[in-house]
Amino acid sequence: MASSSSSWTQTLLVFFFFALPMLCTSFNPDSPSDRRVLVLVDDLAIKSSHSTYLQSLTDRGYELDVKLATDPKLTLQSYGSYHYDALILFAPKVESLGGNLDAAAISDFVDSGHDLILAADETTSDTIREIASDCGVDFDEFEKAVVIDHVKYAITPLGDDHSLIAADNLIDSTVILGSQGIKEPILYRGLGHIVNPTSELGIKVLSASPSAYSGRVGAEITDLPNVSGASMALVSVVQARNNARIMISGSLELFSNQFFESSVQQSGSDDKFEKSGNQQFAVELTKWTLHERGHLKTSNVHHHKIGETNEPAMYRIADNARYSLGIQEWNGKDWQPYQADDVQLQFYMMSPYVLKTLSHDGKGLYFTEFQVPDVYGVFQFKVEYNRLGYTTLNLAKQIPVRPFRHDEYERFIPAAFPYYGASFSTMIAFFVFGIVFLYHK
Amino acid sequence: MASTAKDARDLFSAMRNAYSKTPTRLKVIDVYILYGLITAFVQVVYMAMVGTFPFNAFLSGVLSCIGTSVLGVCLRMQVNPANKEFKDLPPERAFADFVLCNLVLHLVIMNFLG
Repeated sequence: MASSSSSWTQTLLVFFFFALPMLCTSFNPDSPSDRRVLVLVDDLAIKSSHSTYLQSLTDRGYELDVKLATDPKLTLQSYGSYHYDALILFAPKVESLGGNLDAAAISDFVDSGHDLILAADETTSDTIREIASDCGVDFDEFEKAVVIDHVKYAITPLGDDHSLIAADNLIDSTVILGSQGIKEPILYRGLGHIVNPTSELGIKVLSASPSAYSGRVGAEITDLPNVSGASMALVSVVQARNNARIMISGSLELFSNQFFESSVQQSGSDDKFEKSGNQQFAVELTKWTLHERGHLKTSNVHHHKIGETNEPAMYRIADNARYSLGIQEWNGKDWQPYQADDVQLQFYMMSPYVLKTLSHDGKGLYFTEFQVPDVYGVFQFKVEYNRLGYTTLNLAKQIPVRPFRHDEYERFIPAAFPYYGASFSTMIAFFVFGIVFLYHK
Repeated sequence: MASTAKDARDLFSAMRNAYSKTPTRLKVIDVYILYGLITAFVQVVYMAMVGTFPFNAFLSGVLSCIGTSVLGVCLRMQVNPANKEFKDLPPERAFADFVLCNLVLHLVIMNFLG
């Protein structure tokens, strides 16, 4: 009996010993960098032609699963849980995705908070265009049209076809593009797209120059191009309200080894760069998309009256309140304190009665003190933080505020002294009048 | 124009003559009523300047003045010998009513004053 139970515990121990590594590499919300990435390609040659880019992901600890987009065994989820944390779609030609994948399944994938990187080129199919437009980005529908720029094209050893352009209109954001900044132009050959300018969630990261337009190579232009100029985006990102991040690039070759290593010179400029900015751009933007930068989390939201430590269930008018919270940023490996001077707290009931900028102590603790306004009702402590490139913070904590109880006023109100005086003087007048009236002859 | 001014002056002097013939007792009551009304008016002006903050105190002050004035008016009516309506009412009884009502009024005022 004893021997059989010990062998049973032995097998259990062996099972856990081998299962533990697998449990460690699954997605953990405490370390939000995605771990398992599915890369769909339409030609397995991409594994070698884009190997530098894919290697940069593997070097940072991601598990890549490179599969053909038409693979019939493809599946993103089973029984409600997803197998992958991010999806890279380097398959512009694919018409129908394999397995149980389609545009709707990929939309669901993004809606559940996972990230997506999508690249197109001049052979892009309708399926890929549909996926992109679900994300808020519209590729030019004109068939076989690519971005052409006769003024700012690239002069490289790869040839100087005017559809190969050297783009340098980058968005000015160190969160999205890294703190070092990209000085070299970026080689690009592919489609242009439009991000709706009124959209709050879509951001153009790399825009075309004002002289670029979307048209067929070598063909005469007979109609006004659908997409042109600086409003045409080459690479854009969308940060969804559930903080999923999507990168959409109109050029698959932007990520290729050839473009990474090529030298580049912009036409019309004398600067020749030994190496294009493609590798730095692709790697830094991927880091942002996969939540290695700009991902915030809040913790320890507290409020209390100054002088006490517990959170009251209700405040009174003219109480002094203190609100504090911790904000941290993920840097790919661990949580670092977030430093910013523009996080604001609203004490809100239909409109903010108090709006204060939180001060922080350098270690991620944000706090402020204020006096509760002279209005009673149900308020909220609201922190709404929406900055380019950072996850949105939307915190609200409800708290009622009551007026003074009538034994919390001063005993004799100075403003009412005339009334007190008048009442007493009337009584005295009555007394004097009584005497006069009675004893007058 | 001159005739209306003369008429107004004649009117005032006629009123003053008639009033001077009223008994002194009634004039004492009139002074008391006037004092009450002036005090009420002053409080209303003060409230218009400062706001209604302790509204109960304001009401209490104003109503005590107006209340005693009203009771004074009742006393005057009942004590006036020229008034046929109260010819059977002894003036002592009228005064006793006046005192009692004022006591109740001031009791209420003290409670409401806060």
